[in-house]
Amino acid sequence: MKMKRTLALLCLLLALVMSLSSCFGENPYGGTTEITTTEQNKPIGPITGIPEGNEIPALTKPTLNLSSIPTYTGSPYTPINQNLPQFNENQYTTQSYEYYSALDSLGRCGIAVACVGIDLMPTEPRDSISSVTPSGWNNKEYSTDLVENGWIYKRCHLIGFQLTGENANKNNLITGTRSFNVDGMLPFENMIADYVKETENHVLFRVTPIYNGNDLVASGVQMEAYSIEDAGEGVSFNVYVYNVQDGIEINYANGDNWLSGSYVPPVDGGNGGNEQGDYVLNTSNKKIHRPTCYAVEDIAAHNKQTYTGTLDALYSQGYTGCGHCDP
Amino acid sequence: MKLIVCLDDKNGMAFNRRRQSRDRVLIEDLCRTVGEEPIYLSPYSASLFASTGAKTVAVVDPLGVSGVHCCFVETFDPAPYGELIDEIILYRWNRHYPADVTFTLDMSGYRLISADEFVGSSHEKITKEVWKK
Repeated sequence: MKMKRTLALLCLLLALVMSLSSCFGENPYGGTTEITTTEQNKPIGPITGIPEGNEIPALTKPTLNLSSIPTYTGSPYTPINQNLPQFNENQYTTQSYEYYSALDSLGRCGIAVACVGIDLMPTEPRDSISSVTPSGWNNKEYSTDLVENGWIYKRCHLIGFQLTGENANKNNLITGTRSFNVDGMLPFENMIADYVKETENHVLFRVTPIYNGNDLVASGVQMEAYSIEDAGEGVSFNVYVYNVQDGIEINYANGDNWLSGSYVPPVDGGNGGNEQGDYVLNTSNKKIHRPTCYAVEDIAAHNKQTYTGTLDALYSQGYTGCGHCDP
Repeated sequence: MKLIVCLDDKNGMAFNRRRQSRDRVLIEDLCRTVGEEPIYLSPYSASLFASTGAKTVAVVDPLGVSGVHCCFVETFDPAPYGELIDEIILYRWNRHYPADVTFTLDMSGYRLISADEFVGSSHEKITKEVWKK
């Protein structure tokens, strides 16, 4: 009994020590820095690149509750907290730095934060980033009528390449739709980049991927920015950017995606709606495939049906074309 | 009245009460274009011209001042003042920025007089258009 009690006490002590040690990151310039995070107060790894003597970088932030975000209605982003970034004044610095959280146990990126200065900006063109496979990377090709260049996903920088010159940094790349990247995040990065180039001031910039539970694909990101030297007169915003692609539904748990049932293919697309053709149907998810489509093999026998006829007839029954083979 | 505005790819002007972008070369071009004429603008915009030597008049509502001939507007849509505006100098950033203020002035009554491109200090291509009634 005594042995068990001692063991239990030792376990408790060990857990306490581990818990405390994981709440502190090593600062390479000396000392330790307390780190708390976004959603579950998890430790997010050691700080690197912080100039000596500076305050903690802007890692500590209020939790963003996904349920508080308005439903997506077509705008790529929506303001949060009346567009006021939620930094603390002791997080302001005029020394450039950048920080990327280590991947969590699910392989997901966490907070990325940078005090963007002209000295961090790239002077060379971007290298390939295709060696990185972000969590939930389940890329599929669709009609270019729906997604520019066809592929739904891009490897999306949390802190854009034009700001800090990060190439294939796995801690800075998430799975995001083309729309999310191009229409959602990029305009804000452009705004910051122009301001820094023109003024040579600094912008404190924090990007927080927001996941629903254990999802591998972020539902969106929170982007906050504040220009330091002019106290936010040049740049100041706090927005949520939706990780969506119109016409395509996404399973954020694993990144799977498919054409939305409400998507209406263009009249002149594919084989033409009135032409006779041979197709394979998935009667479960109401998808139309060409017989040669790789996805046909994955259709369960009891859901698979061969069909000869027009696409129009199938559309009228609620079927939609496969995004890969584009019938 | 001569109106001067800067727009992004989607006719956006500003976001969260701040300009979308800025460019030193654009401001120099603007000053050359206007010459000795005073530029009416908001106090927020005045800082862009601080070291240019341009004649600026900072007022809260530059378009609302009667008799003004040249007005530079960044953070509000000038559409309500359309009847007063007989010339527009429109700079296009050729980039996409966030926007919650968009330029909605009906341009159907104006004709394009000229369109030129130049390289900015932080923009690869800025397009300058001159429109007149």
